[in-house]
Amino acid sequence: MNLDDIASMFKLIKSNPLSVIGIAIVATFIVLGIISPYIVPYPDDAWGYTYNLDLRLLPPSMKHPFGTDEMGRDLFSRVLLGTRFSLIIAIGVVGIALVIGILIGLAAGYMGGSIAMVLMRLTDMFLAFPPLLLAIAFAATLGRGLANVIIALALSWWPWYARLVYIQVNSIKNLPFVDAARIIGLSTSKIMFRHILPNSLTPIIIQSALDMGSAILEAAGLSFLGIGVSPPTPEWGLLISQGWALINRAWWISLFPGITIVITVVGFNLLADTFQELLDPRLRSTMIMRGV
Amino acid sequence: MPINKEYIAKRAASLIFVVLGVIIITFIITRIIPARPELLWTGPHATIEQIERARKELHLDKPIYLQLWYYLTDLFSGNWGVSWRTKSPVLSSILTALPATLELVIVAFLIAIAIGMPLGISAAIRRGTSLDNAIRVFSVVGASTPVFWLALVLQLIFSNWLGLLPAAKRVDEYIAISTGFKPLTGFYLIDSLFQGNIPVFLDVLRRIILPATVLSIYPMCLSIRMTRALTIEVLGELHVRSSISWGIPRNKVLYRYVLKNVLAPVIASLGLSFGYTIVGAFMAELIFVWPGIGYYTAMSLLSYDYPAIIGCVIFVAILYSMINTVVDLIHAVIDPRVKL
Repeated sequence: MNLDDIASMFKLIKSNPLSVIGIAIVATFIVLGIISPYIVPYPDDAWGYTYNLDLRLLPPSMKHPFGTDEMGRDLFSRVLLGTRFSLIIAIGVVGIALVIGILIGLAAGYMGGSIAMVLMRLTDMFLAFPPLLLAIAFAATLGRGLANVIIALALSWWPWYARLVYIQVNSIKNLPFVDAARIIGLSTSKIMFRHILPNSLTPIIIQSALDMGSAILEAAGLSFLGIGVSPPTPEWGLLISQGWALINRAWWISLFPGITIVITVVGFNLLADTFQELLDPRLRSTMIMRGV
Repeated sequence: MPINKEYIAKRAASLIFVVLGVIIITFIITRIIPARPELLWTGPHATIEQIERARKELHLDKPIYLQLWYYLTDLFSGNWGVSWRTKSPVLSSILTALPATLELVIVAFLIAIAIGMPLGISAAIRRGTSLDNAIRVFSVVGASTPVFWLALVLQLIFSNWLGLLPAAKRVDEYIAISTGFKPLTGFYLIDSLFQGNIPVFLDVLRRIILPATVLSIYPMCLSIRMTRALTIEVLGELHVRSSISWGIPRNKVLYRYVLKNVLAPVIASLGLSFGYTIVGAFMAELIFVWPGIGYYTAMSLLSYDYPAIIGCVIFVAILYSMINTVVDLIHAVIDPRVKL
């Protein structure tokens, strides 16, 4: 991506208020994800170490803006610290999926022939599952826990990237500069990682960063179904499911984490819309299907 | 309209390939990834004898290629294992629950198309106005909302607080029994209508509104976005612009050119969002106590009932592949440009 592209990107972002909102939300999310452990008003409540009998199920007030849960913990602190877990999940899932997807897509795209056929058939098999269903199977097999959630989601996520990289590599591998590199005798790995990779990946990496919203959404779904992170981790989906049983007595427990999820994912999706207008239109339909 | 026989054969062949792929991947997940698959299969409170028996039943004492062979033959002969939560065979439980889920998902898709397409077209023809912006914001927010949270909130508001709609179940047993309602096909709306049983029909309809609305949000937002983008594209084409400038009424132009060009791709995209919707049904059915596949899967997940979980995963994945094939064929019929 050159300077002109970046300049036109900023122009496009500034011209659309929704894009500005998207950037603001995502930036806030990332900053809170990094600093939240240091700024939560009640750190022990946030990590779930406490049990305050006399503070159970208090409605929202100045002291507890989101109210308290059935253990008397400050919900605002827990939701705030949840930002960090969502950020970890989002980066972990997309990062691992991207690495697997790039390696497989690159190998298939550059080697071609029977290697490409085997790898892309494998990719198609994974893509035959509805989103999240495969992650459910992995998560049920691996068991609960933060790391397992990330692995389960990443293992069901990479095929999208593998296919995108494969298409992208195929479209540039016969361009003159790659031929030139081949003629002067560069090794295959050098051509793949020095020449093809940097020239095919910018749109995919940007898109994958914006997929983090979907990763947060799906991780919350796994937690709600009881195969996500384990308590007392303040993950948003888990907080909602803990409030479910008490919804008639304490609606705030489920309400606030849900609103936080919606705002965060909206931020990523608004930003994704902006970039889609900039990027290759051929990718667009795939992105819409992906659930962005 | 003649439909290409070769195309059908090709799609059918690729469906078989996809189903085999799905089964092989589940084999890898359930038999190769875990260190001792029989422990997952029997659950946390199994005795040593039960574990040994499961080991034999799963053919874990045989080499891996034989295991895969038995895995395939078991699946195709309907031997999907026994749930240790309900103590009944997994496949028959799933098939019993299937109509409830299909009815819910179909109603959800009808709501999604009936609301989504008009909204998408009006956004496109009033592009750049505040109506367009409002519809676009709605479609982004809707696609960003967790299904289970939306289900909880709508249930809280419309049923617990306002008391407008029932919170759970498909039909009131008292009304069903007192009017002699017989669920024949399992699709209660159709059953009650054919039996002329209006009280049950209305009760089922009232109960399906909330869960179906929850599940319709995602496909609705998808169809808004697709319809809007496609309508803008079609309206920009030369022949459409000329027909508007010739003074052909706008409704006629919309019906003649826009709807025709928009319908096929929107239906194709909804076929893909079926996968998202049915997984959303796992959570929505759990919350609305809707006795379908979703409820069965979610209860199995919450009680860690491994055979049932994996059975549901395989079943839903195969169902999803089949529906995508059907959608592709429908797409080929209504859109003559599809020739593969």
